[in-house]
Amino acid sequence: MTDRREVLRRGLRLAAGVALLAGCSPDRAGKRTDRIRLWVAPNEAEEGFWKIAVARWNALGRGLPVEFTTIPTAGSSEDTVLSALVAGTEPDLSTNIFSGFAVQLAALGQVEDLAAMPGYTELIARRDMAEITPGWTQDGKVCALPIYSSPTLIWWRADLLEASGLSEPPRTYDEVYGFCERYGQARSRFGMQVVSGRSWADRWFDFISFYYAASGGQPYLRDAHALYDNEAGLEAASFMDRMFRKGWTALDFDAEEPLVSGLAAGGVRGPWDVERFAKIYPETLERIQVGPMVARGPTGPGPVATFSDSKGVVIFKTSRVRREAFDFLAWVLGEEELNLLWLRRTGLSPARGDLLQNPRFAEYYRTNAIGRVYAEHVASARPPALSEYTIDIQKIMTTRLVEPLMTGQLKPAEALAQAAARTDQMLKVQM
Amino acid sequence: MTGRRILSREGWIGLSLALAYMVFAAIFWAYPFFWLAKLSVTQWRFFDEPVFTGTRNLVRTLKDPAFLQALWNVLRFLVMYVPIAFCGALLVAFGLRHVGRGKAFVGLCFLLSNVSSGVALSLVFTKIFSSTGPLNDLLFDLLGIRIPWTSHPTFAMLAIALVVAWKFAGYYGLILYSGLLTIPGEIYDAARLDQAGPFTRLVRITLPLMNAQLMMVLVFAILVSFGLFTEPFLITGGGPADSTVTPQMMIYETAFRRLQPSHAAMMSIIVSVTSYALIAVARRLLERKVTLA
Repeated sequence: MTDRREVLRRGLRLAAGVALLAGCSPDRAGKRTDRIRLWVAPNEAEEGFWKIAVARWNALGRGLPVEFTTIPTAGSSEDTVLSALVAGTEPDLSTNIFSGFAVQLAALGQVEDLAAMPGYTELIARRDMAEITPGWTQDGKVCALPIYSSPTLIWWRADLLEASGLSEPPRTYDEVYGFCERYGQARSRFGMQVVSGRSWADRWFDFISFYYAASGGQPYLRDAHALYDNEAGLEAASFMDRMFRKGWTALDFDAEEPLVSGLAAGGVRGPWDVERFAKIYPETLERIQVGPMVARGPTGPGPVATFSDSKGVVIFKTSRVRREAFDFLAWVLGEEELNLLWLRRTGLSPARGDLLQNPRFAEYYRTNAIGRVYAEHVASARPPALSEYTIDIQKIMTTRLVEPLMTGQLKPAEALAQAAARTDQMLKVQM
Repeated sequence: MTGRRILSREGWIGLSLALAYMVFAAIFWAYPFFWLAKLSVTQWRFFDEPVFTGTRNLVRTLKDPAFLQALWNVLRFLVMYVPIAFCGALLVAFGLRHVGRGKAFVGLCFLLSNVSSGVALSLVFTKIFSSTGPLNDLLFDLLGIRIPWTSHPTFAMLAIALVVAWKFAGYYGLILYSGLLTIPGEIYDAARLDQAGPFTRLVRITLPLMNAQLMMVLVFAILVSFGLFTEPFLITGGGPADSTVTPQMMIYETAFRRLQPSHAAMMSIIVSVTSYALIAVARRLLERKVTLA
């Protein structure tokens, strides 16, 4: 009997141990209210900025102190944020959120509508974001605020352009064709890298960028309907098709950075590539001239529209210091001095519409030719369509539109019609 | 009865030693297993309570053409991978038999590819297979052709099969080598007396007597095929036209990109059942009981 009691006692102890382990489940009630927890992108440049900004905020004593760490990720930020939300270990604020993921989080009721926060309108006015926020607004709600806007533009090797008789980067399809005819050599030297890669995300840097340029920044998706099977879509698709059919571009450029050897004289690149080239290929960077996304002809006054690879910041609904977190956010995004610090540290243009008019930023852009071209396009750059089905939409774009154009299986009009129809069909099932 | 101890002293020691593993298995195997089973018959999107939906996920998954394509891709992969991996492994095994000194070192060298990071080697092979890469440059210089390794459905799968075979050939080779060592030399001597040539000895003696090791390698190959993720994810991204998408890629994207973990849970169960069934069929058809009288 004694032994049975002992067994029972041990069993209870084991149960207590298991209960203890089970206690490692989300404890949202235990979230702190004495400080604001912030996650920032895990890269040296951005971390350096936040270190200074957070130290200044804490020294000012204007609100709750902020504690920041980089997103503890080995893979993608999205996976880490998601895991943290499920485990209940998410911070109050997180940066490095792309708009499609923000929409997914909003659909799951995990992020705060920032447009409803007191002080939102003042922040938009102070940061001159009126032209930028529509791309981040869905049904009047803003689930993430863009910190920076990185337009996609075409980098050209100025020395190779010059050798082919061009003093500035091509702006139209015809100029690109003319250059490719002079520069290209069958299967060994190509005028331009047209397709950025195989992943769904690469469509932002090829078809979507070309489509925005051709359409003057018109959306390619609205509600549950693909809009790119139109005149602008046909122009962009025909351009890609002709480049492949004529052999002026390769199926991929995975073996090397084509701009360095001149394997391709041009390719779509973002401002984040400036730092990469400065570190690895400084000599090539000196020969780079940045041109706009090409289109058939001018699509309107001002800079040509293009895609904006922006990352934003969200406030999680589970936070118990949402108001205080927004106060911090409004301060850090609204302070021009901090925006300039961001620009100097990261080289990424803050998402604001007055970069070239505001004298505070003029000095930086006077000495930074590449940064200036990117800044010129911040206002005309459009973010991706706000959809929680971004991956499926762009996978269809890859398999039904871009790949058939690469291999010549379909004519541009057929590929466009097929991709748009399949997207509509998929969205109809999902929604 | 009252005086009898439930367990002897040795029993308690044994239980204590096994307890650590039992707790480990309960937390990291049993709990996820039951959670997976529960998820597969419910609708759950990470933050809400799971709602029972019966066979909805099953029907949805079986009707999903993308998932069926991913399963079909596994079979396409197997058709290319198994012959390449077996030939490579046999070469390693026969080669090892002829190595004199330093056999252990050579064996370990073959294992290096197996323990290498899948990510690192995928990045290297991505460059090698590029349309403007060194392999195509060589082919162009020698034969005037370029092979679309990553942009043609069949070549893309072949490229992945080559990479995975390169990774596992050494490991499989060591398994086959252990089988080779168990075959008595007298059998070969007798065969030579009967005028049996090298090919006859291979197909009549060596391969039949290595059935156990060959089956083991085949089972491993099937498991590798169903677990394939890193190589197609990095080398082809699943393309072209989803021809190299694997079930593991579908499961990952469905759970963590589309945020539909219940659907992904059902996919993973179907993948497990399919791989088990394929292994059972392979064993039924190919496994032989080998005895040396």
